[in-house]
Amino acid sequence: MKKLASFVVDYWVYVLKGGVKFYAWLGFLSLFLIGWAYGNFMQLSQGMIVTGLSDQVSWGLYLANFVFLVGVAAGAVTVVFPAYVYKHKGLHEVTVLGEMVAIAAVVMCMLFVLNHMGRPDRLWHMLPFIGIYNWPGSMLTWDVIVLVGYLILNVIGGFYFLYKKYAQEPLDKGFYMPVIYIAIVWALSIHTVTAFLINTMPARPMWHHGMMPIRFITTAFAAGPSLIIIVFTIVRTNTKFWIRDEALDMLAQIVIWCLGIALFLTLSEVVTEFYHPTEHSLGLQYLMFGHNGLTGLVPWFWFSMVAMVVSFILLLIPSVRKNYRRLPYVCALAFVGIWVEKGMGLLIPGSIPTPIGEFTEYSPSIVEIFNSLGNWAIGFIVLTLLLKGAIGVLLGEVKYASE
Amino acid sequence: MARYGMVFDLRRCIGCNACVVGCKQENTLPDGVFFTRTLSEEYGVFPAVNRVYIPTLCNHCEDAPCEKVCPSGATYTREDGIVMVDADKCIGCGSCAVACPYDQRTELSKDLFTQGLFGEGELTPFEEQGYSRFTPGMVTKCDFCSGRVDAGLDPACVVTCPTDARIFGDLDDPDSKASRLIRERGGRPPLPEKNTSPKVFYVD
Repeated sequence: MKKLASFVVDYWVYVLKGGVKFYAWLGFLSLFLIGWAYGNFMQLSQGMIVTGLSDQVSWGLYLANFVFLVGVAAGAVTVVFPAYVYKHKGLHEVTVLGEMVAIAAVVMCMLFVLNHMGRPDRLWHMLPFIGIYNWPGSMLTWDVIVLVGYLILNVIGGFYFLYKKYAQEPLDKGFYMPVIYIAIVWALSIHTVTAFLINTMPARPMWHHGMMPIRFITTAFAAGPSLIIIVFTIVRTNTKFWIRDEALDMLAQIVIWCLGIALFLTLSEVVTEFYHPTEHSLGLQYLMFGHNGLTGLVPWFWFSMVAMVVSFILLLIPSVRKNYRRLPYVCALAFVGIWVEKGMGLLIPGSIPTPIGEFTEYSPSIVEIFNSLGNWAIGFIVLTLLLKGAIGVLLGEVKYASE
Repeated sequence: MARYGMVFDLRRCIGCNACVVGCKQENTLPDGVFFTRTLSEEYGVFPAVNRVYIPTLCNHCEDAPCEKVCPSGATYTREDGIVMVDADKCIGCGSCAVACPYDQRTELSKDLFTQGLFGEGELTPFEEQGYSRFTPGMVTKCDFCSGRVDAGLDPACVVTCPTDARIFGDLDDPDSKASRLIRERGGRPPLPEKNTSPKVFYVD
């Protein structure tokens, strides 16, 4: 018990101490919290009217970010899976960093869901047993279970590993390995259930097909490792902690595979919908080409397509993929492309046209943008602090009785 | 137990929107919120063109997608088949709005109840008494004027209709006017392919 208390203290003391760069980065992120505070104040005092949402398009930027970030959280398994199932050495050393990315992503997911709620004061209804919980009927209740479960698994897996490392004790494999294997399967479940959230609605033909879950998983396993490659590159150039080239290379290969499959699935969908279009194709038509001069989403769609295709082609070229200076930029392009594809390219056109054929355009309001930027900033602050602590423990700079 | 439903006689509807006004008045609906709407559509090729009016409201589906997706169980079906929203349970997630194939859900924002219809933040006494019944932040819809139905009255839109184009009644009672119309004139539910078993039917 004493050891655990000193772990908590030592961990936080280490995390909060840093150089100029560290504080500058946190300070920069904190700037977004000003807009975030303003946005939340506006939204809590005046209601959802300050967002760009309407009865026709009632899921917007917040849930788009949520859906994307669930993917990023699930994508962390691309570090854990090769490390433990294929005994990949480079990734095995940094598993815990992947888990930290997952924790930060789930935290952001929760912030976005909270922002989306018309009655955030009734969040407690979403707690099993305590609130009124329409389980198993409502897909949203399943999503709460899998997301909270994933957060708990990663917190347990990550911090148990760090604590044992700190205490310089061997891991209890009988406890640790089951947590890891459950977390691997669980990662698939979080994005599957999030896909089920939207593809179980016959009212929205654009979402209502069986390809949705696998499309979610492939984009997740492209976006997640893309972010992790960027994070790993920053870590190895700015800290004493070295992450091997093999680790980055493995992740880059996962990105290529999954991005390629994702593009293939998008192509399949376009062919299916356009070969002989019916009214069910209207959402995709509006997204790709607009409708009677309403073209709000067209640039977003083509931007995401270009970003995904270009990053895919670039990653195929070994001289780009193996150049670890260029790789993060290509990954950033893929990351942004998938972010647009999941959000403006999937969630919004599901509601346009509405089932009765109305075309209502949606663009996020300034409050939504402030809140979203703020949520991302909080996520990155959490990620920075988690990574700093984890790296400290891995380097042995934080260890029991070190003073 | 009754199983309430509604029939729209499209031959009779003249698109006057009296039902819409009657509904807004009965329920004190704030600016921009409608529980019933009358759509209109032109059809045919010139010179043989015509216009049809299609009244719409919540279809109180037997297999309601909004009820299925609701995470807090706020949406429920009464024994008499009326689909209701419990204002105390709704968390305002908007799942029902996305799941409803008929676009019949509406989210009540806070400022709707402070602005007032005439703006400048002043509520009329009529608005004041009515708005207290609403919970801002929740997602709501038509409830067939459940209070009136409990009192043995027809919904407000039905009594307002000048041409008797809206017929409310017990679909389980084969002798009710609604059941008879559906049977004799081939009542069709809206978007049957959505498989929601609506309790609202159209005859023409």
